[in-house]
Amino acid sequence: MTEIRISGGAVHDPANEVDGEVRDVCLKDGKVVADVGPEARRIDARGMVVMAGGVDIHAHIAGPKVNAARKLTPDDRRDDPLDRTEMLRSGTGGVVPSTFATGYRYSLLGYTTVVEAAAPPLAARHVLSELRDTPMIDKAFLILMGNNQVLFELIRKSGRPPGAVSPQLRDAIAWWLDATGGYGVKLVNPGGVERWKQDNGNVHSLDDEVTGFDVTPRQVLEAIGGAVDELGLPHPVHVHANNLGIPGNADTTLDTMRTLSGRQAHFAHLQFHSYGGKPDGLPRSRAPELLDYLSDHPEITADVGQVMFGPAVTMTADAAVSAVLRDLGADKWINHDTEVETGCGIVPYRYRAGNYVHALQWGIGLELFLLGRNPWQVMLSTDHPNGGSFLSYPKLIRLLMDRAFREDQIGRANQRAIRRTALLDGLDREYTLNEIAIITRAAPARRLGLRDKGHLGVGADADVTVYVDRTDREEMFATPRYVIKGGEVAVEEGELRRTDDGLLLSSRAAFDPEVSRVLEPLFGDRYTVAFEHYPVREPALREPVQIVEAAR
Amino acid sequence: MAEFGPVTCAGCSLLCDDVTVDLSVEGARLRPDCRLGADWFSERALRMSGAPAATIDGEPADVESALARAAELLRRARHPLVHGFEGATVEDARAAIALADRLGALVSTQSLADAWPGAPAVPLRGASTATLGEIRDRSQVVLVWREDPETTHPRLLDRLGFGSLSAERVLVVVDDRDTATAGRADLRLAWPREHDLDALVTLHALQRGLPVQAGELGGLAERLLAVPHAAFIYGPGLTAGVSGQRRALALHELVRALCHDRHVVTLELLGASGTRGADDVLAWQSGYTGKVDFASGHPEMVTATEPIDDVDVTLLVEHGPADAGEIALGSLAAGPGVEVWIRTAAAGVSAGGTAHRLDGVPLTLQVVQPDDAPTAAALLTRLLAEVGT
Repeated sequence: MTEIRISGGAVHDPANEVDGEVRDVCLKDGKVVADVGPEARRIDARGMVVMAGGVDIHAHIAGPKVNAARKLTPDDRRDDPLDRTEMLRSGTGGVVPSTFATGYRYSLLGYTTVVEAAAPPLAARHVLSELRDTPMIDKAFLILMGNNQVLFELIRKSGRPPGAVSPQLRDAIAWWLDATGGYGVKLVNPGGVERWKQDNGNVHSLDDEVTGFDVTPRQVLEAIGGAVDELGLPHPVHVHANNLGIPGNADTTLDTMRTLSGRQAHFAHLQFHSYGGKPDGLPRSRAPELLDYLSDHPEITADVGQVMFGPAVTMTADAAVSAVLRDLGADKWINHDTEVETGCGIVPYRYRAGNYVHALQWGIGLELFLLGRNPWQVMLSTDHPNGGSFLSYPKLIRLLMDRAFREDQIGRANQRAIRRTALLDGLDREYTLNEIAIITRAAPARRLGLRDKGHLGVGADADVTVYVDRTDREEMFATPRYVIKGGEVAVEEGELRRTDDGLLLSSRAAFDPEVSRVLEPLFGDRYTVAFEHYPVREPALREPVQIVEAAR
Repeated sequence: MAEFGPVTCAGCSLLCDDVTVDLSVEGARLRPDCRLGADWFSERALRMSGAPAATIDGEPADVESALARAAELLRRARHPLVHGFEGATVEDARAAIALADRLGALVSTQSLADAWPGAPAVPLRGASTATLGEIRDRSQVVLVWREDPETTHPRLLDRLGFGSLSAERVLVVVDDRDTATAGRADLRLAWPREHDLDALVTLHALQRGLPVQAGELGGLAERLLAVPHAAFIYGPGLTAGVSGQRRALALHELVRALCHDRHVVTLELLGASGTRGADDVLAWQSGYTGKVDFASGHPEMVTATEPIDDVDVTLLVEHGPADAGEIALGSLAAGPGVEVWIRTAAAGVSAGGTAHRLDGVPLTLQVVQPDDAPTAAALLTRLLAEVGT
């Protein structure tokens, strides 16, 4: 394999407390090493910034909902074709790019690892097939478990006091990860999606009963969150809380955080869950309260889910939310119900600077970034493509690093909304390069339990991004000078130089195989797929893989 | 007795995966019984024994010679067409579209036999859909619109719970033909096909409470509006032919309107087992579905009405008897018009792989009778290597 010495760059490696120190980074056999021989390729990085490859902790890039969105929005890609070359496959871009375009464009942006944040376990074969066609990046997916009727049944039957975890439930979750190749556990509007599929219902508080199942969202959070914690999975339970988008939902979010108190948990797209006001009224910001809670509870982390003005495609397992957008006048709407497990809603969308709600959402996202005291707890995401494309990350970074630019953009947004945030309160914080490195790679990798990613210490994966240090931070982060993946130069001068399949990242936790005897009859009553055919055993779908073992 | 099971039957797009198959008897035997599935297994498992590995101009040939000839044809082609996919796996489709991308070919996952297969309505307004289990467990009214699943998807109604004699569920059939499905209907409406658009628009008006002449639609609207959960099953009977897109759009508009105060879903009846998966692959690799042209160096969506008149070489992938096209890869014998034919191991009989059920659920196909023949995916990957050099 290639040996590389990245020489003379300012290294930003916050996981190893390196903050802009000019030093060499050496790569060999796909890893960061202490030194390489004189024959190593030398990359002159003087005047450049060196960081680990970017890690996206929450995006939607593969699986049936992403593909349904592609089918729904052909016109969005017509003007953004990607030509085939001798080396590259063709494709189309837009807000929901084709798979090859997704992999190439993440790589061109300096990202080397991406997590698909919501996959129906029943559709694992589809997700895995798509991820095989998503090159250049290592990828993982989280499996949806917050509305799983079989788990509801196990929770109901366990009869355990709140907070106590049933071994059977713990084994079932580990079995599901083993069966699908998933990396972690996602809860989306626990209980609410099942209610949606019944008769367009929902749950509105953590203590609403999920009709027909004799469980509540709180019990689901406690049981599954606790089980994931006890299993010691590399990534804690990943929560899309109830009441997304509804004014006043900050109460639910805080209640959810308190319910998971003492357990590790990651909250997805916190911006969408940080609203004050009354359910039928206009929202206002309660981001500061949530940040206060986070600062007192280091076991909780979040990604922001920043909205960016412009086109987006909302896609979520929280199908009731999509119906709200439909009723606001959306031209296009997809709903898809997946038996036993989850739902799905898709609505193409556009965030407008002049719109009160959109501007407030934009402002709340910036508040979460700028008022947060610990960047290790609040990570960068747009919930791609819900808040906007991952291609807007460079502009978001500029908003965080460049106060003058931010103030100009604030001036263009709906002022009534902006006045209901802290953005006009002399918020002069500008992110440093080290803080950007934290929220875009070091913190997500640490939170995902990917010990060899997100940093540049000896032994780390040789995933490195080198940027020219430009005043225009948007331009700087949009066009890395070099991207090195697995120790090989993937991007140089803004062009892809080689292709790489990337690895599937899966987690593994021990479980009692006897749990199959419990699950099989519950499957038989509910699924239309035979129990023995549910697990994905085909090596061709699950390789090449890197297994991350649970801690316990 | 040589029973295998449970295995997935790829005899239709329902992909029943609870099937036990016995290939030792004449015509094959399936449990649960399904004539369509038994014929499918029988045809692929038995009829090809003794068939040549390949033919060139109808004469037996070895695979290597056939591949070389196929590669030569493809290299010379100005605008090849890659189509078929009726029995293809996801893996076959991935390889086929990779080859099409390299060749600058046109790909079609739609039937070319129909003069007007109908442009998709979903990209215009979307759709509400569900997997089989959701419909089985929740829909109190299931309406089958001008399809005959009892013939084309023989186990569908049973899998949707209509074999269990649930008194609270209603099967409505809209069809003026005396079909086997119509014979099972609790409520049958038999207007001619040309009235479908009017019927859908009228139902929509009734849903909105507008004063319209309802006729027999009044009873149907009452039933739909009386339940919290309903499903529409439709297919080419509604969407194919002139104005098919308008009828499909009217259906999805009606369902969208009904969804405001109840949960209503649709299920599209696709015929063959491989087309849903191939279309899904085409969508994720290119961003488009149906017909996609790679001739310009990138994918371009082709509308159903655009003629395909400059294709000079066709490559037929896993599509029943290969009776058209210069190159055919398939598990059934070639017809007289085929210049190069290479026998493949039939997915779900002699080869494994992944297939997507008509509702999108991905399933694995098993090997019940091993065969030395290569898979279509393997052949297409070889062809890609050949034409790429």
